Amino acid sequence: MKKKTLIQIMLHLFLIFSLVIVVLPMVYMVSTSLKPNGALYEYPPRFLPGLEEITIENYLYILGQGKFYINFLNSLMVAGCAVLLAALISSALGYVIARFAFPGRNFLFSFIVLTMIIPGLTLIIPQYQLAVKLKTINSLTGLIPFYTAWTIPYSTFMIKGFVENIPKELDEATYMDGGGVLTVFGRIIIPLAKPGIASVSIFNFLTAWEEFPWANTVINDNLKRTIPIAISGFFGQHQFTQWGYVFALSVFSLVPILMVFIFCQKFFVAGLTSGGVKG
Amino acid sequence: MQTSKKGKFQIGLLLLPGLLIFGIFTVYPIIKLFLMSFFEWDFGNIADQKFIGLKNYRNVLSDRYFRIAFTNTIIYTFVTVPGQMIFGFLTAFLINQITRFKVGYRVLYYLPVITSWVIASLVFKYVFNTEGLLNYFLVHILHVTSQNIRWLDTRWSGLWIAMFLGIWKGIGWNMVVFLAALQTVPADLYEAAAIDGANAFKKLFNVTLPCIKGTILFALVMLTIGGFNVFTSVKMITGGEPGHQTDVVLTWMYHKAFSTGAFGYSAALSFIITVVLAIMAIIQFRMMQQKD
Repeated sequence: MKKKTLIQIMLHLFLIFSLVIVVLPMVYMVSTSLKPNGALYEYPPRFLPGLEEITIENYLYILGQGKFYINFLNSLMVAGCAVLLAALISSALGYVIARFAFPGRNFLFSFIVLTMIIPGLTLIIPQYQLAVKLKTINSLTGLIPFYTAWTIPYSTFMIKGFVENIPKELDEATYMDGGGVLTVFGRIIIPLAKPGIASVSIFNFLTAWEEFPWANTVINDNLKRTIPIAISGFFGQHQFTQWGYVFALSVFSLVPILMVFIFCQKFFVAGLTSGGVKG
Repeated sequence: MQTSKKGKFQIGLLLLPGLLIFGIFTVYPIIKLFLMSFFEWDFGNIADQKFIGLKNYRNVLSDRYFRIAFTNTIIYTFVTVPGQMIFGFLTAFLINQITRFKVGYRVLYYLPVITSWVIASLVFKYVFNTEGLLNYFLVHILHVTSQNIRWLDTRWSGLWIAMFLGIWKGIGWNMVVFLAALQTVPADLYEAAAIDGANAFKKLFNVTLPCIKGTILFALVMLTIGGFNVFTSVKMITGGEPGHQTDVVLTWMYHKAFSTGAFGYSAALSFIITVVLAIMAIIQFRMMQQKD
């Protein structure tokens, strides 16, 4: 018994030690955002501000800027729409591919999975030209179909796995009652695959919320920027970077992600571990 | 069961939005990219593109800067993939042994994963800046060097920072994935091994690792793809500087496409990367299957 307790304590000590290293950069970010925004680089640099120095002026500055709210809403709107669209579309695809032997099914599914290998950014040139053609350059809503399309392969792959675990008898019972394909989709598949759809959607939200290269390439207008572009703009615009502002804005941008993550923890883990990993 | 006419129509209705969005925004760009890679296609001559066969591919493969970027990408992948897996597995292994606060550790270790690349890159850039915290610590507190080290200004230190960031950000994901896998290993296997007199190491290598082989392969393939996808961190931390020495394939591709307008070149480069990645994924699958 004694030995067991000792081992537990050792394990905890080890975990805490490495945890400190892991969270150090995050703590430094928060601590910098709470320091007065003075010189380019403070000298001597300190890990934590002195107690009497702690200030929320950086946060107040960000909150006092009208464009902060716009950037924030932009991100919410784009990520929210993309997530909803991807959830609907991928559920439909996942359902049909899992249940019906239509011609080209195997080809379609293999192709969707294969596109996951292609590094997303390599398509940026033809996608840029496409955006020019569709007149969605510098358009906020123009981001949505691209984000949706990028998240479809992974989402479809995962949701198909979840659908396959739903007993087929439930479909058949619905058909017996005179229901059609759409009835099964709405009454059986969506409710029962909900945990899977939720976990995929959390992932997609994270992807869309933090997406940087594409939005940075197609959006020029200050007021159309999403949060990551706003952060990097703060960083690049001036000759010297006001780190206090950068990190205060960063902390704000982490809030929605943290909330989603904490409230949906259960789904999050479920999504990571089922589907892809069997065996 | 025979699907009725109405059923077929409804199936089509469900497929249509997905096929449209996926077709227009992913498949069409893939085809377009493939075609572009065989044409002389630059900013200057958008109106008339000349078919030049494999010339773009030859240009890419013989380009000194591409070779640097490709080498950097390979190094990045070969360092960060095992790095993330080993630290992630060890963390999961430890968390799996403890009896209390499991969820707390899991949430905290996961924090870097949900931090966006832009933010994480800026924090690292701030820490590793020449006038930053790390140098102060090394020079004035540990006294290991007398001068501030210019971390961001040389190829290897710049790359190391990006790799360090990649490992730091990926540990949490691996931890969650391996933790779930460890929980599926049947307890009676450990008991049987203990009866046979196996020590902790033997249990790890003869019971645990073979049981979670599927997960290892899954992580390996996903992380390799992730390694080739590295972009934002390098772009924000070093921007490829000095003189494209720290560029990875995607930052180099982006530079060629949007700073010099060499679309044909970039298209060929994109295809080369995709093919390399596909080959690596196939090799990884083969290797894992052979070990059966």
